[in-house]
Amino acid sequence: MALLAHVARGCSRIPKLQLEAALSVRFQSTLSHNDTKARRARELRPRRNYLLNDEVEQHRKSLLQQSPEVEEIPVQQAEANVPRDFRHVMPEFLPDPNPLYRDRVTEKLERMDMYRRRTCIDIPEFYVGSIMAVTMADHHAPGKQSRFVGICIQRSGTGLRADFTLRNVIDGQGVEVRFDMYGASLQKIEVLKLEQRLDDELFYLRDAAQEYSTIPFDFEPVPLPKGATVPVNSTKVKLNPRPWLERWERHELKGVEDLNLPEKKYRRARQVAKPWERWDLMKRQRESINEDEEESIMKETYMETESTRRARGRQKASLKKTR
Amino acid sequence: MLRFRIRTRPRKMASLEGLGSGPEGRLKRLRKHVTALIRHERLETTYAQCDETRGYAEKLITMAVRNGDRDKHTMEMADYWLLEKDLIHKLFKVLVPRYQSLPATATSIHRISTEYPGDGRHMGVLELKGNPWPPVRPQPRNTRLHLHNIQLEEAKKEYHQERLRAKSAAAAVPPEGSSVDGPAGSSVDPDPIDSESESGESKNSGDSSKR
Repeated sequence: MALLAHVARGCSRIPKLQLEAALSVRFQSTLSHNDTKARRARELRPRRNYLLNDEVEQHRKSLLQQSPEVEEIPVQQAEANVPRDFRHVMPEFLPDPNPLYRDRVTEKLERMDMYRRRTCIDIPEFYVGSIMAVTMADHHAPGKQSRFVGICIQRSGTGLRADFTLRNVIDGQGVEVRFDMYGASLQKIEVLKLEQRLDDELFYLRDAAQEYSTIPFDFEPVPLPKGATVPVNSTKVKLNPRPWLERWERHELKGVEDLNLPEKKYRRARQVAKPWERWDLMKRQRESINEDEEESIMKETYMETESTRRARGRQKASLKKTR
Repeated sequence: MLRFRIRTRPRKMASLEGLGSGPEGRLKRLRKHVTALIRHERLETTYAQCDETRGYAEKLITMAVRNGDRDKHTMEMADYWLLEKDLIHKLFKVLVPRYQSLPATATSIHRISTEYPGDGRHMGVLELKGNPWPPVRPQPRNTRLHLHNIQLEEAKKEYHQERLRAKSAAAAVPPEGSSVDGPAGSSVDPDPIDSESESGESKNSGDSSKR
């Protein structure tokens, strides 16, 4: 915090005129409507707020910066024993790997906000396929709050914009609600049944019979025995006959029964499949946060959230992903 | 983690294995390049292909160094990317020990001249560090022992000694008209040899330009 505060203070010291000049330069840039995407990106690149942690730390410790304003950041000596697959528990702490959206200062500030939010509200460990209940402030509801129960069919977004979607069937009508995990109007998040499914997204439940996504609102919480691994629910869903919302035969779904399609459909699916992407190391490199950075972020996350986790006295399920 | 800048987007190179070979053909060709690089430790093609190959080769070596040969994913990747299977042994037995304590990239890339007359492609060389070939970039030659340099050295030495002798002679004889060149004579250096050598050098540079 002190570091960031210092960075912010450093920014405020820039004379106003200079700042205005910098801003005016921004609008005088030579961007035009017929530029290529790459050129536009190049134009924008130097103005992005891109600071490497090591670099900031080096300048902070340099002789030029020896002023009483700089507070010493206590180095956390405690060695964190981070579980190996901790990133599956709190995936929203890893930033978006797209280099055009990377901004390390913002990411760090967002993470700190997230830790702070986590001290106010218990955001438990959950996975796609878990049955959850969310209580939300709702000034139209009688008690000024509403509760929604459903099966989690998607987790997405990173940082403060992380969200999850719950699906349920109410009065014969499928209902999906998308909640911001760090939204201010969330009052309580409960995991009624902690489990995983075979797939990372369960959108195919929209094309399946309603009983697969019907969850009673008085669903009793199913406790998990202490030290147990997160169970994988390996039920295979039987989809309704076509038409579907998507061509599910092209999605390599694991949690779906045989689709019983004509051979033509499977042939076409094979034609459009991209099996080589599995081997594309650089594609994977570009689409993920690199191991070192991931490790440092997850270590920080683990240490920051450990105290709240302990304080809540929650039983710690083993974090190993069994899939 | 890669230790060099990579492009935000890959080059598409849709026709690397013939027209319309697409992204699959691209990988097939790059696989040949990676195999050749590990085999021969140096590769010369267009700069773009060198640059694309570099990422894959570096990633493969980094994975091998990090995970070792017991890791299933790493071994699968080595099996895919190295078409000649004896190179898998080379990767884990030769290259991993070579690069495991190297705090830099395992490969280096150079631009080389475009062929003329030719098709104007920008050419490049990609190589593994520590390869047995002569260096791509010429090393600066050590010209210290060339005859003219030895002679120049000697001339310099002689010049300095002469100056030193003249100075000491001037200091030994008490100046008669000290009032005329008072400031020059009265300035006494605490370390005369150092100041002499410095002034001698600066004068020498001027002299050499005159010569």
